[in-house]
Amino acid sequence: MLTVLLIIFGVAFIAPWLHSILKEKTGWVLALLPLGSFVYLLSHLPQIAAGETITQSTTWVSMEFFEINLAFYLDGLSLMFGFIITGIGTFIVLYGSGYLSGHTDLPRFYIAVLMFMGSMLGVVLADNLISIFVFWELTSFTSYLLIGFNHEQEASRKAALQALLVTGIGGLSLLAGLVMMGFATGHWEVSALLNEGEVVREHAHYLPILILVLGGAFTKSAQFPFHFWLPSAMAAPTPVSAYLHSATMVKAGVYLLARMHPVLGATETWMILVGGFGALTLLISAWLSLSFTDMKQILAYSTVMALGTMMMLIGLGTELSMQALVVFILTHAMYKGALFMVAGAVDHEAGTRDVLKLGGLRSLMPISAAAAAVAALSMGGIPPLFGFVAKELVYEAALGAVSWPVLFISFAVVANMAIVAASAIVAIRPFYGKLVETPKKAHEAPLSMWIGPSILAALSVVFGVLPFLADKSLLIPAAAGVWGAPIDFYLSLWHGINLPLILSVLTLAGGLLIFWIWDGLRESAPMRVYQSAFATLPATVYDKLVDGMLGLAEWQTRVLQNGFIHNYLLTIITVALIGIGYTFLSKAGIHWNLQFADVHFYEWALTIAILVSLGIMMAFGHSRLTMIVGTGIIGFGLALIYLIHGAADLAMTQVLVETLTVILVVLVLTHVPKLKEVRSVASRSRDGVVALAAGLLMMMLIFAATAAPFDAFISEFYAEASYPLAHGRNIVNVILVDFRALDTMGEVVVVAIAGLAVFALIKMTRSGSSKEGKRYE
Amino acid sequence: MESVNELVTILPAIIIGFAGLLVMMLDAYIENVRLVFRTTTLFTLGALGIAINDMFGHSGEAFYGLITYGGTAAFGAVLVLIGTLVTVILSRDYLEKTGSHIAEVYSMILFGTFGMLILVSANNLVTLFLGIETMSICLYVLAGLVKNEKKGVEAALKYFLLGAFSTGFLLYGMALLYGASGSTFLTDIATLDDKGMIYWAGVALLLVGFFFKISAVPFHMWTPDVYQGAPTTITAYMATASKSAAFVAFIFVLSRALPEARAEWGDVIWLFSILTMVIGNVLALVQDNVKRMLAYSSIAHAGYILIGLAAGTDAAYSAVLFYLFAYTLMNLGAFGIVAYYEWHKGLDFTEVKNYAGLGFKQPVMGVLMSIFLFSMVGIPPFAGFIGKYRVFAAAVDEGLISLVVVGVLASAASVYYYLRVLINLYMHESDPGITLIRPGVLYSATLIILAALTIYFGVKPGDLTNLLGSFKGISY
Repeated sequence: MLTVLLIIFGVAFIAPWLHSILKEKTGWVLALLPLGSFVYLLSHLPQIAAGETITQSTTWVSMEFFEINLAFYLDGLSLMFGFIITGIGTFIVLYGSGYLSGHTDLPRFYIAVLMFMGSMLGVVLADNLISIFVFWELTSFTSYLLIGFNHEQEASRKAALQALLVTGIGGLSLLAGLVMMGFATGHWEVSALLNEGEVVREHAHYLPILILVLGGAFTKSAQFPFHFWLPSAMAAPTPVSAYLHSATMVKAGVYLLARMHPVLGATETWMILVGGFGALTLLISAWLSLSFTDMKQILAYSTVMALGTMMMLIGLGTELSMQALVVFILTHAMYKGALFMVAGAVDHEAGTRDVLKLGGLRSLMPISAAAAAVAALSMGGIPPLFGFVAKELVYEAALGAVSWPVLFISFAVVANMAIVAASAIVAIRPFYGKLVETPKKAHEAPLSMWIGPSILAALSVVFGVLPFLADKSLLIPAAAGVWGAPIDFYLSLWHGINLPLILSVLTLAGGLLIFWIWDGLRESAPMRVYQSAFATLPATVYDKLVDGMLGLAEWQTRVLQNGFIHNYLLTIITVALIGIGYTFLSKAGIHWNLQFADVHFYEWALTIAILVSLGIMMAFGHSRLTMIVGTGIIGFGLALIYLIHGAADLAMTQVLVETLTVILVVLVLTHVPKLKEVRSVASRSRDGVVALAAGLLMMMLIFAATAAPFDAFISEFYAEASYPLAHGRNIVNVILVDFRALDTMGEVVVVAIAGLAVFALIKMTRSGSSKEGKRYE
Repeated sequence: MESVNELVTILPAIIIGFAGLLVMMLDAYIENVRLVFRTTTLFTLGALGIAINDMFGHSGEAFYGLITYGGTAAFGAVLVLIGTLVTVILSRDYLEKTGSHIAEVYSMILFGTFGMLILVSANNLVTLFLGIETMSICLYVLAGLVKNEKKGVEAALKYFLLGAFSTGFLLYGMALLYGASGSTFLTDIATLDDKGMIYWAGVALLLVGFFFKISAVPFHMWTPDVYQGAPTTITAYMATASKSAAFVAFIFVLSRALPEARAEWGDVIWLFSILTMVIGNVLALVQDNVKRMLAYSSIAHAGYILIGLAAGTDAAYSAVLFYLFAYTLMNLGAFGIVAYYEWHKGLDFTEVKNYAGLGFKQPVMGVLMSIFLFSMVGIPPFAGFIGKYRVFAAAVDEGLISLVVVGVLASAASVYYYLRVLINLYMHESDPGITLIRPGVLYSATLIILAALTIYFGVKPGDLTNLLGSFKGISY
């Protein structure tokens, strides 16, 4: 299976080259690729039908702490999805070659669509959780490229980004969920996880895991309230909409939940969340489809409805609902793919897909009209088509729900009425009635564009009349895959007169009635309000969220990152103060070990005098020079205190260093622009408070340091050793020139270099003042 | 003399230091910038080779325990030297084209690298401080290298003032730790039983100092201004080599000196990690200037790396090392491409919207940029993905679920601003009047190798991770 994927990706990259050689025939040649994959999967059908599963594994990354395997797992469920992906993929490649023929970017379409196909196959075939995620994100990404295919249009780009953001964020939520699940069970293989359902369900983190996984699945499968991206994604060329946004990619979420049902499912939370959101989506979107006149929009919302149906079925979690699920997925892929392709053909040939501007195309496009009619009958659930079988099963499953069957069945029936009407709209309005003048002169679409819908429509009939063709071989293993245990059933068109059948008749009648009054209904006020509440509002909320995030970022930039070093320092000091102060105070009580007894009065006076004069200078000084001189005074004051205590050498060093620093800073600051604004009292007081707090903290640190026991070892060593070892009586001198002579030399060098720098700065200021000065004015 | 034999353990640093002096002399007496460039490249290449070889050799302590060698230290040296080598190669063309090709750049880079090499092998607070300051001072100078660029001078001054400030924190923290434990050796500090006030205050100050060096929020404010103002290749140097060095040293301090206080600094790093990821990513969203965007993105990446440090296990440290490696490759690459666009002096390629359609003009550069940016997002099969994945996995193992959730969401937001560059490169119409210069062979070859490594280690990370996993014991 790895080989198949690699071939698909490989061919994707050489597609442009093939296109330059084969020109118009490229589509037919490239279609062999999905067809070949289809045949490859078909070759495994007998095994799967016999109830076996196939696993293949290749080690990708092997590390000490974990390894990632490229493992593949084929069972009924993945095989069914594989058939849909490759089967419809074959038609889409053909269809795309016709739809986009002559488009300059056609090679780009081939690359993206084939890459998408490979990724999507990867999602359904992968066995490893991480691989699933990787392929999952690749589908989002290729979908982004495909939606934005007409990149010169603003709407396309916006829709592409929207889809990417919604599904991308969902994908990351999925990753978190999968990783947590992997750690919870210690298994990273789906095939192994399937037996670990108990462990996961009883794990303390079950709810977060479930919500995270659902976050991924709901966004990908466009469940309410994330459904808004799917209709916007219709900005993509129709082959893309038909393939990604109806038949395959949007079903990835459904696939994932179906796959995870044996692991995560069968709990009450699961039923409420999955079933509930599914049912809500089903009802809301079915009726939304009636508020549009664009064929693709109608189909998009009916797709959302179908996805909702699938979610609901998964959520119901009964054996019956699993049968309904697999049948519904298969039938939906057939009729919806066909309808989308017809819609695209109409758009392509007639130049519009607004049903109000179309009519009577039957005579001009007979094949498309026939395909549309059959597919729509299937979508409406009319016997003897496959759609009917599926709908009956859905009704049965809803009736058989463990809790609230009345709620589920009424949702399903009311929604399906709208869907009957919708299928009537897309199949009848454009093709029947009076011939309407269209922007382009319509004629039948080329072979490449009608072959797909025709075959798919024909299959709807075949499977409908002869349902046993599919049930034993494919659908039973698929349903067993979802159910997690062997399952047995058979499909038939006729179940006798029972409640589902009566409901079907009711649905059909209701649907036709709605179709009858559609023109009035669509324009009615409640429908308008309904549309703006459920179609426009979520999209608006999304826009607001994106804007809000950008707005927040801009606000932060303005406030925090405004380029003033003053503000930067303020933030840094405040945070450091809070952090250090908190650690300091919380980690240990404060021990004061203060001995003020031997502090003389003049020392107090000196200190206070320095501090006060300095405070005034700093607080009210308006030029940098005042402030620097102020800080210099602190240094000299310190030197004075050293002097009082008899440390003449220390005092002298302090004076020298202080002088040098002040001069240096002054020289540097002449290169800096003058303080222009006089800052407000409020901002000065704020700075004052921060400065005071910083000072207090430093003071506390020093007190804390003095509280630590004093280790006299070094002092004693020098006192004892200076005469015998260095023959000097002045300990300080001995230390400076003997014990630590190298240090002293270093210091001398530093001072000398600093002096040089001062000299250079002075020279620079003098010679370059005119030039430099101007620059900062 | 034992110490003389031990010189071989810091051979890369010696080579680089010597090269720095040599280059300075060459510049003074021969004044041939090309020659200086070649000498620098050769010596750096030699040092890199030795450092790579050291990774596989044995590890231990040298110079009475002042430094450690081999293992993580050697890997740190490799990171630093890769950053240096690429910076030097890219700088030649960039500085030539932007008209400020002066030889002092190379000696400053070499001295800075010397500091970083000391830093990554430091096993003592004093060695650590020496390394950090040697590195920082050179970086201050490099930031303001292009003197006739007003922004550059402003950036350099800001960097210097704020940097000096943070050095104060760092030094004070070291002094207090020394006061509390009576030793500056990292491992001796760990053995301290009685952890009083001074100890905790020292730890807090030390953390603040390091947060500044790795530009964690809210100590990040210098980063965007400096990264934007500095010459682009120098920015690449600051963003990769100096940051890797600071992170490696940070790991050493945390794991060797403060293992007992892990619960406490774990919480602190947890908090700063969240702040850094959220604010870094959110601010990156609104940047129109590409360099500024990359600056915020590097802040965001520091946040992800902090997740690994917060986890604080061997697995997490080795994940962080891998992350740093991936980070180095992709950032050097991305800045290299930005620098390439800046070659065109007459054209303004600072704003992202001016990148419109450039992807098709020089396809190789466009594709390379895509690779680097995708790797930064963390999309497989690029090295960035493996790095992110391993860091997150290690954090999940330690139960830091909330941190990983924030990390994942933040990465999601990052898609937006990285893709914005690509959308501009490919999906907007370009101005037909723009023609791009063909990049030189050496320049593009370097970037291609970086991209190839990004992909290689994304597809086959096994060997490297096994190697990193084998650094144990004294190296941590």
